[in-house]
Amino acid sequence: MSEYLLDIEDLRVYYYLAEGVVKAVDNVHLKIGKEEVLGLVGESGCGKSTVALSIMRLIRNPGKIVGGEIWFDGENLLKKSDAEMRQIRGGRIATIFQNPMSSMNPVFTVGSQIGEAIKLHQDVQKSEIIEKVVDILDKVGIPSAQERAKDYPHEYSGGMLQRAMIAMALSCNPKLLIADEPTTNLDVTIQAQILELMRALRKAFDASILLIGHDLGVISELCDRVAVMYAGKVVEHAVLSAIFEEPKHPYTQALLKSIPRLDMKAERLHIIPGTVPRLIDPPPGCRFHPRCEHAMKICSEAEPLLTDAGKDHSVACFLYSSKKAKPPT
Amino acid sequence: MGGVIPKQVATIHAVDGVTFNIELGETFGLVGESGCGKTTLARVVLRLIPPTGGEVRYRGRELFKLGQREMRRLRLEMAMVFQNPYGSLNPRMTIADSVGEPLDIHSLAKGAEKEKRIMELVEKVGLAPFHIYRYPHEFSGGQKQRIGIARALAGNPKLLVADEPVSSLDVSVRAQILNLLNDLQEEFGFTYLYISHDLSTVKHMCDRVAVMYLGKIAELGSVQDVYNSPLHPYTKALMSAIPIPGRRRKDRAILKGTVPTPIDPPPGCRFNPRCQFSEPMCTKENPALIEVEKGHFVACHQKK
Repeated sequence: MSEYLLDIEDLRVYYYLAEGVVKAVDNVHLKIGKEEVLGLVGESGCGKSTVALSIMRLIRNPGKIVGGEIWFDGENLLKKSDAEMRQIRGGRIATIFQNPMSSMNPVFTVGSQIGEAIKLHQDVQKSEIIEKVVDILDKVGIPSAQERAKDYPHEYSGGMLQRAMIAMALSCNPKLLIADEPTTNLDVTIQAQILELMRALRKAFDASILLIGHDLGVISELCDRVAVMYAGKVVEHAVLSAIFEEPKHPYTQALLKSIPRLDMKAERLHIIPGTVPRLIDPPPGCRFHPRCEHAMKICSEAEPLLTDAGKDHSVACFLYSSKKAKPPT
Repeated sequence: MGGVIPKQVATIHAVDGVTFNIELGETFGLVGESGCGKTTLARVVLRLIPPTGGEVRYRGRELFKLGQREMRRLRLEMAMVFQNPYGSLNPRMTIADSVGEPLDIHSLAKGAEKEKRIMELVEKVGLAPFHIYRYPHEFSGGQKQRIGIARALAGNPKLLVADEPVSSLDVSVRAQILNLLNDLQEEFGFTYLYISHDLSTVKHMCDRVAVMYLGKIAELGSVQDVYNSPLHPYTKALMSAIPIPGRRRKDRAILKGTVPTPIDPPPGCRFNPRCQFSEPMCTKENPALIEVEKGHFVACHQKK
């Protein structure tokens, strides 16, 4: 249909709690091109994982996808039946989660769990399954894969298990791989191994990747483009170099200045005052305005719309455009 | 002794043959990956767990030879800021109770004086006086960490041990806490033992740093020396493994394998199975930590 593999239009996901409605994801637009890696960055509670779950249609009660469209490979995922979604999940769209220990079933061997994914999604003979499992484990760098396939998850180290998770995700040749903080629980030297592996696999498998994370360093290692989320909204969206070299949104700018960096020496770190707002009653207007050093009168009155601010660079801020979102009804 | 379940099944060499000193007023960093023994070391420094061997001297006094009462007095001078502010505050105590507890235990202040002191402490860490009658659940993670710091300050400590003080906080809140720790050091002249796996924050906070691997110090020196000219192959790999925002690192030395278990550490240099420069010597003899430049120590056979 379009040049994009994934096209999220105006996605809204709300959680209906006793205390009120949490607008976890509000009017989010995202596009991922074929064979592209998009980084989705933000702090905890900004809605980045909710976006991932929405793509997989795994939002559970009390959460609900209230509106919007998710176009994947020319089809609207939100219109699919549950049976059709089951075929897509783990098949054309695969996921890697943050904690590999809790994503694997402890009572089955790693090999049998990967084999199950292959059996569900591919038309292969029983005898071929084990061959395929060993082959994919070998590809993600598990030494003596033949034997390790028979091991249980607790016999793997964290880094190894994350490799096995990646193997399972890639076993059905997905078109889209969603990686939600894939290296957050790992030590730095193991993180470097996994990032290296993902980079190599990206070339080998031609899949698009949605990489979700809060570590801007990890995002830089893999992504082509980056979307920055704050309090349920995408506030800036641009190619990787533009986000780091000429960040436009005050939140992106402040975030970059507030992290201690290995390659620079700062006497004092820049501070973003206050904390991330609760999404039950987000601040009116731009959700960042109470913490923003450039806040103007309009920022508390109307909500800025994500608009173009340069080549392949869009930002939702009144400093760059006066376009307002329609007031909520 | 005896019984169905053996009391001890194995010995974990969590910290093994570590020697270092922290100077008055400096921030000493301890970095390493999970399981390298950095937290164990912090606990030994505060005499929260006894060492199997060796000594810890605090201002010239051997901590493990002190009597209970003397130790108790010394505890006033040593405080700890914990990693998880959610778990380190009692949910059923108000902030005033939590921050005031050390004042009670050491009979430092009572009544109106105590309340005044609590207000002072809370204000020092950037919270408002009216906050003290609230409970922990009413605060955000960053605020809770501020409360944890206020509590640590209550006894006018000289040495503050901060074990991963910001790793459970949101990125935008981390800077607030790091700046607060720096401001407090400037005002009160604290000595910090700063423990973290995050090399970027350690570089920002510390004067000197020790890199630990599997219970041993691999390298020790000033932050400039260790970060700009690392000598130990492990330190080099660690430095090159850290992703830098806005850059794609091409110069990486990717380590193979994972950290071995400390129950049965490899013979010789503990890093040798993962080291690309490993020689026969490395599998036999454990390298000593030696000074190769002024104040820059490394434990590696290649650097003699």
